[in-house]
Amino acid sequence: MNKPDYLAPQTLAEALDALGKHPHGVQLIAGGTDLVPQMRSKMVQPELLVDLRLLGLEGIEMTGDGIRIGARATHTDILESDLLAEHCPALVESAADIAGPPIRNRGTVGGNLVNASPAADLAPPLLVYDAQAVLASSRGERSVPLEEFFTGPGGTVLSDDEILTEVYIPPVAPNSSSKFIKLGKRKAMAVAVVSVAARLTLDDSGSISQARVALGSVAPIPMRALKAEAVLEGHPPSAELFAEAGRVASSESSPIDDIRASGEYRQKMVAVLTRRALAAAWGRLGGEV
Amino acid sequence: MAEINLSFSVNDQKMEVSTEPTRTLLSVLRDDLKLKGAKEACGQGDCGACVVLLDGEAVNSCLVLAVQAEGSQVITVEGLASKGQLHPLQQNFIENWAFQCGYCTAGMLISSYALLMDNPNPNPEEIRAAIAGNLCRCTGYHEIIEAVGKTAADLQQPVLTSES
Repeated sequence: MNKPDYLAPQTLAEALDALGKHPHGVQLIAGGTDLVPQMRSKMVQPELLVDLRLLGLEGIEMTGDGIRIGARATHTDILESDLLAEHCPALVESAADIAGPPIRNRGTVGGNLVNASPAADLAPPLLVYDAQAVLASSRGERSVPLEEFFTGPGGTVLSDDEILTEVYIPPVAPNSSSKFIKLGKRKAMAVAVVSVAARLTLDDSGSISQARVALGSVAPIPMRALKAEAVLEGHPPSAELFAEAGRVASSESSPIDDIRASGEYRQKMVAVLTRRALAAAWGRLGGEV
Repeated sequence: MAEINLSFSVNDQKMEVSTEPTRTLLSVLRDDLKLKGAKEACGQGDCGACVVLLDGEAVNSCLVLAVQAEGSQVITVEGLASKGQLHPLQQNFIENWAFQCGYCTAGMLISSYALLMDNPNPNPEEIRAAIAGNLCRCTGYHEIIEAVGKTAADLQQPVLTSES
């Protein structure tokens, strides 16, 4: 590895100041589960490492109008959060499927999003909850809807002088539930071949008033399947409807062939897993297909 | 970059080390402190041979920069035995043939130890989940799971009294 300087600021203002003073070559580090191997293989060669460990930013809490997850909350923190289990079960399911306990104890929400892998496990569930990334810089703070956050594999809208400080989940409608399914080569320690998150909200008549479907590992970025959502909205839940939404989600995906699976297989699995995730989300609302 | 002075506790002993910021906790434990229990196999968090407790949580010490452990409590496999007595987990690993080559053992022991701290009475499924981040290439999982289960049972056993 190269030999960068190291700084562990005590406050966000200090961290932002350090970023502002070194526009290039600064690398933020949180859990290090992605970054340390990247530094060892020289994919990343920072001049200054800024460690976020003293900044707090790790709480998961209800605010007046939603849930705030500090960027340094670990996958284990998500897994053990009663608040998220109640309101965002698909997010908890996705955290449970990440790697194994030692990685989950270090890896963070912020790192999972900023690393911007198309296979980021937390991204599809956060997309179905309409989450926003809160980005701070010495210029101020801005919120970016997660669906506008990713720009490509490894790429985000984050500027050089910005830090992702928290993820904000707006209030989840009461008559709403969700499900996350990950298909990997193994149950643990596996990068997703395909992942799907789905969320359904029902109106008083039992029809779907709002649908969200998000897909991982089947496009350059974690993506919303907007056409599949449109197929679902305004209709009563049924096996046929979920199957149709699965077919449409499959057609929206654009997976590549890689060492884990062929694109063709992935595309077929999008249809299957979308159908299953929708049926499971509906099952959590008392429905049955 | 100048080296950074690092102060942390390892197996309940205060340690002072001077290190470059990019060195891993594993490297400092092994090369500076000569604690050779934790191993490096994959060096990227896939195998678990380097697992230690950092402030009570199992972590891959190959993915933690040593400087990030400033002020923390680290427990390595060397810290499990006390006063010359092996920890019951270690004793049960021996008695249940829970290792062959031994390369994964330090990590397996620490992940199992972390499990038993949180959950003193785990079922086999919970034991499997707890060691999901630890690879054994001698295919010894079955014996490891039994050894952890036996340890949990041993530790729950009430102390025998003269009446019993």
